[in-house]
Amino acid sequence: MGRLTRGHWVEAAVFLLIVAVFYGFSFEFNQPIEIYRYGATAWPRVIIGILLIATIGNIWFQYNYGSASQGGIGQTEDEADFSDSGLITRMAAVLITPLVFAWLLKPVGIYFSAPFFIAAIMWLFGERRWKALLIMTVVIYALFIGLFLFILNAPLPQGNVSPFYDFSAWILTMNAKLQGL
Amino acid sequence: MIENFLAGSAALFGDWFTIGIFVFGVIGGMLFGAIPGVSMLTLAAILLPFTASLEPAQGVMLFAVIYCTGTYGGAITAILFNIPGSAENAPTAFDGYPMTQNGQSGKAVGAAVLCSAIGGMASALVMMAATEPLANWAIQNIGPPEIFALVFFGLAVASSIGARTIWKGWMSVLIGLLIATIGQDPVGGINRYNFGISDLAAGIAFVPAILGFFAVSEIFVQAEKKASGKYKAPKVSMTFPTWMELWMHKIAVGRSIIVGFLCGILPGIGATLAAFMSYGEAVRWSKTPEEFGKGKLEGVISAETANNAATGAAMIPLLALGLPGGALTAMMVVVFQMHDLQPGPLVFMLSPDLIWIVFAAMFYANLAILIIGVVETKTILNLLKIPFQFLAPLILMLAATGAYINRGLVLDVIVMFLAGIMGYLLRRSGFSIPGIVLGLILGIIGEQNFAQGMQMVHYDLVTYFSRPICAILIFAGFVTLGSSVFRAFKAPKQNLQNTDEP
Repeated sequence: MGRLTRGHWVEAAVFLLIVAVFYGFSFEFNQPIEIYRYGATAWPRVIIGILLIATIGNIWFQYNYGSASQGGIGQTEDEADFSDSGLITRMAAVLITPLVFAWLLKPVGIYFSAPFFIAAIMWLFGERRWKALLIMTVVIYALFIGLFLFILNAPLPQGNVSPFYDFSAWILTMNAKLQGL
Repeated sequence: MIENFLAGSAALFGDWFTIGIFVFGVIGGMLFGAIPGVSMLTLAAILLPFTASLEPAQGVMLFAVIYCTGTYGGAITAILFNIPGSAENAPTAFDGYPMTQNGQSGKAVGAAVLCSAIGGMASALVMMAATEPLANWAIQNIGPPEIFALVFFGLAVASSIGARTIWKGWMSVLIGLLIATIGQDPVGGINRYNFGISDLAAGIAFVPAILGFFAVSEIFVQAEKKASGKYKAPKVSMTFPTWMELWMHKIAVGRSIIVGFLCGILPGIGATLAAFMSYGEAVRWSKTPEEFGKGKLEGVISAETANNAATGAAMIPLLALGLPGGALTAMMVVVFQMHDLQPGPLVFMLSPDLIWIVFAAMFYANLAILIIGVVETKTILNLLKIPFQFLAPLILMLAATGAYINRGLVLDVIVMFLAGIMGYLLRRSGFSIPGIVLGLILGIIGEQNFAQGMQMVHYDLVTYFSRPICAILIFAGFVTLGSSVFRAFKAPKQNLQNTDEP
């Protein structure tokens, strides 16, 4: 199969899937607009068509030249080497942790989940000293609360499940009392 | 012009809060530009949602200042770690990093300080003189067809920037354009691609997308480097170049200012092309071209003068025509929009104060590079010693809060992290993040202006392309595309021997 690798196949499959999904869903809004002859689908379908051509071109290029660089202006990244299973596991954890944090924001709120998130990210970045983890979590959490709650009074997600919601309410009450001093 | 500049200066330094924002922008831009693993774009993305609470002039000025000082700051990481802060600092690393390895990091950083300031100030002066006449001309000559043509040209050029191959450059821009189609269509208000999620009817908000693609993906890239043991701590040394050494490069500085300014005007690539072209010209004109890439001071001088000379020039298409030339200027469009303003010729008529505060701030920001760069670079370099494992959670928390605050939607935080994951995977596969973001921002402008243009000419393509400026820009866009099609089918000369992967 020429110089195509498994990574190239995955990349091609993902882009072809994007093309198929976006083209398929374009029929959902395929309706005329009275003041505009081309309607709402013309622009996205042109983009999808060109993306399909570019994806096929990319497969052709990778078939012939593998991952070779054409020396584009400003290209600075090396290709990732995901042959190490330990690296894959760690990177998967790094990528999933923020998503879990974001998913928890609605039920748990940011005030309760933030310290755990901060500590988890430091741990995933290689910090293993418990004292440093604890102190820096407190420092970053204090900076965050100080900036967004005490200074900016920003409305942040409080959670909607007890006891997390109660914890957020307690923090906000403390803030209101401190501001009133 | 002088009266306006003085009035802008007076407004800039007239109240303590604005001064505070200016100083924050100067130091923040330098710091974020200089800290490995983040860049001025990370700072700009984090600050984007918070500019809503500032005055429009303060918000736009803050971004303009970050642009100037961050471009310089990126040179520090390029020189010390071989990690260019952004694409425009990449040629700085060609000779800057070998100079660090040769124990001359101070000399390289010093040259970057002085040349960035000189290039930036010269560019700011030309920008002040040229932008307003151009904007006045644009009011009479630029309509939706011309703006669409300029977007087309900008995207055609942007597709050749930052990606490993031309094909991936195109795919990056097209992915950005496709993301921009999510939400209501700009003509009929019909919902597109909301996949049953009602919050997506308003489209993908720029702020979470930009935060994800730049700030979050950068954190993931650094996490991978940490995990694979490729992350390197810097060696810091400070010995500035002598005035005589710099004077010997006066021709290189002058040439780089001209190259930088002319390239900087082009939408889509600006400072990046400027730095690469200036470096290339320095090699071409040199009597000892073989010394480039091995630690030659002229290489650093040429790249850094040109990329800062492009910062002022990049403001011309943004302010005169409303078109961003790069990722940071694209974020500036969002700042304008957050205050119900649209960058473009009308801003000169409706908000002249804002424009001159921005111009004055850019001039003084470049002056500040000189003063703070010489006096405080040592201190800034010491801050580079903050371990990245402590910086990463702080940046992620700031980004998450920034994404949420804008619309109060948890969905935006999820979108931001998904964009971060997508950005990380695409970057590691050789795609271009600036290409995606430009596609995202220019996509909406492009579609809107294409539709308006077609309605204006009653769908007659001949009339559309017989407008001279439109025809020239479309022709230039097709020439650019044609040249990249030619390059796309050409065999790559390098790295072929390394491409047979298991």
